[in-house]
Amino acid sequence: MSALHALGVTELRARLAAGEVSPVQAVGATLDAIAARDAEVGAYLEVFADEAAARARALTDSGACKALPLGGVPIAIKDNICVAGRRTTCASRILRDYVSPYTATAVERLEAAGAIILGKTNLDEFAMGSSTENSALGTTRNPWDRARAPGGSSGGSAAAVAAEMAAAALGSDTGGSIRQPASFCGVVGLKPTYGRVSRWGLVAFASSLDQIGPFGRRVVDCAQALELIAGYDERDSTSLPEPAPSLCEHLDGEVSELVIGLPREYFVEEGVDPGVLVRVHEAIAVLEKAGARFVEVSLPHTAHTIATYYLIATAEASSNLARFDGVRYGRRAERVEDLQELYERSRSEGFGPEVKRRILLGTFVLSAGYYDAYYGKAQKVRTLIRRDFEQAFERCDLILTPTSPETAFTLGAKSDDPLSMYLSDVYTVSANLAGLPGLSLPCGFSDGMPVGLQLLGRPLDEATILRVGDAFERRTAHHLVQPPEAP
Amino acid sequence: MSHATGDWQDRWEMVIGLEVHTHLKTESKLFSPAPVLYGLEPNHAVHPIDLALPGVLPVLNERVVELAIRLGLAIHATVQPHSVFARKNYFYPDLPKGYQISQYEEPIVSEGWLEIEVELPSSDEGGGKKKKKKKDKGEAPQTLRKRIGITRAHIEEDAGKSIHDTQIAGGDDSCIDLNRAGVPLLEIVSEPDLRSPREAAAYLRALRSILRYIGVSDADMEKGQFRCDANVSIRPRGSNELGTRTEIKNLNSFAHVEEAIEAEAIRQVELVEDGGEVVQATMGYDPERRRTSVQRLKENADDYRYFPDPDLIPLRIDPARIEAIRAELPELPDEKRARFEAEYGLSSYDAGVLTASRRLADFFEETSRACDAPKAAANWITRDLLRELKEREVELEEIALTPEMLAGLIRLVESGRLTARNAAQLFPDLVAGGGDPEAMMVERGLEAVSDSSTIDAFVEEAIAAHPDVAQQIRDGDDKPLNFLMGQVMKASQGKAEPGQVRKALQERLRGSGA
Repeated sequence: MSALHALGVTELRARLAAGEVSPVQAVGATLDAIAARDAEVGAYLEVFADEAAARARALTDSGACKALPLGGVPIAIKDNICVAGRRTTCASRILRDYVSPYTATAVERLEAAGAIILGKTNLDEFAMGSSTENSALGTTRNPWDRARAPGGSSGGSAAAVAAEMAAAALGSDTGGSIRQPASFCGVVGLKPTYGRVSRWGLVAFASSLDQIGPFGRRVVDCAQALELIAGYDERDSTSLPEPAPSLCEHLDGEVSELVIGLPREYFVEEGVDPGVLVRVHEAIAVLEKAGARFVEVSLPHTAHTIATYYLIATAEASSNLARFDGVRYGRRAERVEDLQELYERSRSEGFGPEVKRRILLGTFVLSAGYYDAYYGKAQKVRTLIRRDFEQAFERCDLILTPTSPETAFTLGAKSDDPLSMYLSDVYTVSANLAGLPGLSLPCGFSDGMPVGLQLLGRPLDEATILRVGDAFERRTAHHLVQPPEAP
Repeated sequence: MSHATGDWQDRWEMVIGLEVHTHLKTESKLFSPAPVLYGLEPNHAVHPIDLALPGVLPVLNERVVELAIRLGLAIHATVQPHSVFARKNYFYPDLPKGYQISQYEEPIVSEGWLEIEVELPSSDEGGGKKKKKKKDKGEAPQTLRKRIGITRAHIEEDAGKSIHDTQIAGGDDSCIDLNRAGVPLLEIVSEPDLRSPREAAAYLRALRSILRYIGVSDADMEKGQFRCDANVSIRPRGSNELGTRTEIKNLNSFAHVEEAIEAEAIRQVELVEDGGEVVQATMGYDPERRRTSVQRLKENADDYRYFPDPDLIPLRIDPARIEAIRAELPELPDEKRARFEAEYGLSSYDAGVLTASRRLADFFEETSRACDAPKAAANWITRDLLRELKEREVELEEIALTPEMLAGLIRLVESGRLTARNAAQLFPDLVAGGGDPEAMMVERGLEAVSDSSTIDAFVEEAIAAHPDVAQQIRDGDDKPLNFLMGQVMKASQGKAEPGQVRKALQERLRGSGA
């Protein structure tokens, strides 16, 4: 029998519901794991040890735990998602000491379901990055190899789940920030359909692309988390009216009636780690054997997705981050002479280089005289990319691709080459541009590092990708391999 | 003040367009649940959304959409089934998000108009569609009615206020009050159809009247609920081309609007007549010196980097909703005015005065209904009541007089029980303290004397006291008749019915009533 902190949400819940395990024990075991491992991994920016223990105690004493769907389950939250009375730093110096007075809808819903919030996890500053190295507040290491990056931007949440320091976690995905670190850390990560989960309380990076989603060690764990956090929220005008889907009951291991599309443009050998392609082809074979049918599809505008993404995301970011001006909250430069200096120094001192780069890019692409050529054009291409997927989904029920062209890279390997960092998002950004749900799940290893398989679904059809992911998981054992203990 | 000669308007024509920002009458803000309240302590009507805390999102107040539709219908405009909120990006301490949410390329209301009426000075030679000369009253001025195009009206949020008061802020510091941040506004942009400061003021009055009629805004300038920017250019008379315009910002009273436009036009004329050129710029107006001055040149203007706000979905309006709002729209000033002329036989001028505000129009209709004497009611209201309000510097709703009281007073006069003169004496007290006009009349012994023997006695007395004057009249000179009438009225303490007195005097001195 696995240690309590190593159990998935569903397994843990089964024991909690049966009364075999108490919330105090479940949360205690996880807090112990954090105490033992996180100095090495650096997944958390802040751990709410006392409060989590107190809540676990209250839940144990009240006996309410059994009836709550996530009663007693310890969960980590990416530190760009607000929890009342707690710091929300976005891993930025500018918000280092900012305490949020309110709680994000997604967290509120998890807490209402009985989940116990363990703490806040590290990320690339304002979720801008693919390695968590852009954090101003700490380094997160990949639990599979401490010399490597956990991916990003939700690297802390992915590492926490991989290192068994949380049963599940919330992250946010703007261009792959859930799926890529899930892939790098060998866990499951789900980016829901745009609008499925309320963004109220998620600090905006690029509003039209951002989406909160769960990490878990099993597909079913992500399915359950999504059931609980999804659904309309009157505080977010872009949240969809559709009720939260019922997902877990459809995880029956069946894929025989499904057609899976393989985009021609994604299966090119150039720029892709051969070890990644091998694992993905093996996964295809597994699903084929299970009865799924594969067809080649085309997404003709794939070559433009990275450019389109970085135009739209930086434009929105340049506006979204204007509020961090040193006037009302957050870091304010001291001993300034005038307003202009207050702005310049607060922002110069508060933001890191990647954030500054994106604000400058975004300001430029929205400028008079450049808007049509850049932002306007990018919006048009975005429509074409969405149409590519609509046409592909006429021929298939879901699309399968690698999550990332590579496995986790060494810390520092790309720090001086932002463009190469941007290009590693090639398989993930299209789902954000098209608003589609995407799932990343472990499909084996390449040179000892986890490889992620990505499944993309039709808008609002998380059910199908979760069902296929779960069916794959049932037929393989990759998810059972645990990262090595700390040396 | 200027060396532009007084007749510069013979050479130059002003071309004026106005941008009005009006606060909408809602309980909560445009995108947050914070209340819209005036006069609160700073930062006491503020929600995390107004503070732009990390992670908050705007949610559109649907009431604002309804009010914008109402305005669109009232100004005969197109209400767009699809409009878009955009971000206008700039840094300022009272702008918490670093951008203002506004409508840019696709506003909710486009292409409307309203009609204004301006009094013509006798020398004015402006050419409008129709001229009307008032016949029924000498005092009614000659007026020009003119249609003014409205380019667009769009929804946007107000900013907060920066407070630089050293007592509050202390030293060189500044403070921010965000109570106003996020208050819903409509920006209403006119076509450059206005040709004089007087027309500009008339446009503002007409617009304010409509806004109040349809309950869209209180449009109180003193509370900052109704603000105006003016675009001004000049061109040689007879030209159809538009000159380079300047924009005068933040005009806070009708008087300032008129003065500032005049001052700016003169500045431009002087500039051009001295061989210079008008440069596109934002101007400020100094009411003390009555002068405009350049605040910022267009070439140094901010690049606002507008783009559609990704936090808000496009605003879609069902045509059925527009029709439902149209059906519930109250009678508009122009419609009411036409009805008053037709239904009550009022002059166009009186109808215009009475319909300037919905409250005044309602006061008139209630009075008229209660006394069944619409013309008398109109006279009392347009002359006596408005004068009292002006003298006392109060609003209609602040006085004690009710339509029922005024109707009672009118009935007493109409039935001959109270002379007009004594009614006028009672009126200020009714305005100030209210009361039953009939009881007040009786109490003060003001009831008219109509008994002929009493009047005859006063007449005899007056003739006896002034035999010379009486003889003049007997000799055929009518002029002193009024003097004798005055004597009789004085003797009767104003209670004698003047017509009856005149008749009695004539009969007594001439033997006939002619």
